[in-house]
Amino acid sequence: MKLLADTHFNRSPSLNRICFMTCVLLLGACATGTQRLELQGSFPVPLIAKSPVNLGIHLDDTLTTFSHKETVEKKGSWEVSLGPSQRELFANLATGVFQNYRFVDGLAADAPLDGVLKPSIAEVQFALPSQTRSDYYEVWIRYDFMLYDRAGTKVGQWKLPAYGKASKNNYGSKSNGLQAAAMAACRDAMAFFSINFAREPVVQQWIAAGKPLMPPPPAGSDGGTSPTAAPAATPAATPSTGADPQPAATPDPGNIQGSTQGSPT
Amino acid sequence: MNQRQMKIGRSLCLCGLSLMLAGCVTATVQQVRQTETAMTADDSIVVMGRRNRPSQGEAELDFINCVSRNMGSGSNSVQVITEQEFMDALFPWFEPRTAPLSTNDLPELLRQPILAERIREIGLKYLVWLEGGTKRTAQGGSLSCTLTPGGGGCFGFLTWENDSSYEASIWDAHTAKTAGRVSSDAAGTSYMPALVVPIPIIARVQSSACVSLAEQLKMFVQNSS
Repeated sequence: MKLLADTHFNRSPSLNRICFMTCVLLLGACATGTQRLELQGSFPVPLIAKSPVNLGIHLDDTLTTFSHKETVEKKGSWEVSLGPSQRELFANLATGVFQNYRFVDGLAADAPLDGVLKPSIAEVQFALPSQTRSDYYEVWIRYDFMLYDRAGTKVGQWKLPAYGKASKNNYGSKSNGLQAAAMAACRDAMAFFSINFAREPVVQQWIAAGKPLMPPPPAGSDGGTSPTAAPAATPAATPSTGADPQPAATPDPGNIQGSTQGSPT
Repeated sequence: MNQRQMKIGRSLCLCGLSLMLAGCVTATVQQVRQTETAMTADDSIVVMGRRNRPSQGEAELDFINCVSRNMGSGSNSVQVITEQEFMDALFPWFEPRTAPLSTNDLPELLRQPILAERIREIGLKYLVWLEGGTKRTAQGGSLSCTLTPGGGGCFGFLTWENDSSYEASIWDAHTAKTAGRVSSDAAGTSYMPALVVPIPIIARVQSSACVSLAEQLKMFVQNSS
């Protein structure tokens, strides 16, 4: 018994040292590493009257591999990977909003498709509760949508700002909070798109004109817009109810170093 | 049994005792009825949190789930649709940016045949919007713990007071009118005396507010109050 006790006593300091070093290394790794977040959950199919269009949807690699990395001073680095969930998002969105849809590889499409929609993520920003002195994790996403006719000529484009938030009271860790806020922002984008797609001036005019083939752009231009469907540079009309997705409190830019990647990481 | 085992036994007893102890909570429930209410076996209800803007008054997800769970169980239980199921079933009409802010917005929403049809399918009769939260309103005392190779222990006394305040607004999905409001307020003080082992005496304020609000809501929608 005495021997056992002695052995135990003699081993303790080295065991303690090992435990201590392991903890230090783990904490160090947690503090310095970038936390990668993937969107979790599924997207619903919008319950809305379908627009009378058959569209091809072109998701390029820039979108499907999109991730946004941001470092917040003294808080850590996060990389939010939005790309992998975009296919499911647009599949469900298109199921609810368009009469028919198909994913296509290019900007041109054959009948019965009327045209091609090409979404892209132009900007992402997030904020932690400590930055905005609020209770919320917040994520802003700005989508750009380009509409092409069947021949691949640009009909028009519009922007779609989306916003998602998640209360820190509901999520135990920063990663979970950001993940939930990013998911909320994607749902917001879907909601906003569903309600406003048919109201977009570009879409409205194109459908009203019978979804025609647009005249080819003048040589030297990058695709241009048609005379009938002017580009809508302003955000789409807001829904009749609800708030706009402006940042409630802008995070201190001095504390943020962000980078947006559209290539595999 | 040696002295060390006795010590462990005493600590375990104290822990068990502390689990049985609970601080006192005072709960008050009030209601304002605007229209008659009734629910049949086919009718369902959904409890949702207001999330249209970042605000201090956004009810916690735990609390919303707790109210839903309590309404769907026990005596006089009603058929409850979870918030997420409801939001997905009626997407995109009840998202933070698109949800109706008042009953004035409901008729226009319900005029859409596809939406009205879905509401009929799920049997939605009442929509309950929850707002409020639980906050720590006061705290005091001090507690210090020491850990040495020979053992450890804590000494001191901590106390804190929590206050829950929630309001539920009940909308009738059939008439598109506000049926009434139910509010639940609860306050309680928790204590943690520590003489070697800390003994938490926790006042379950939020839980008490949840149970009393859910019971009152059940009675309200079944017109038994």
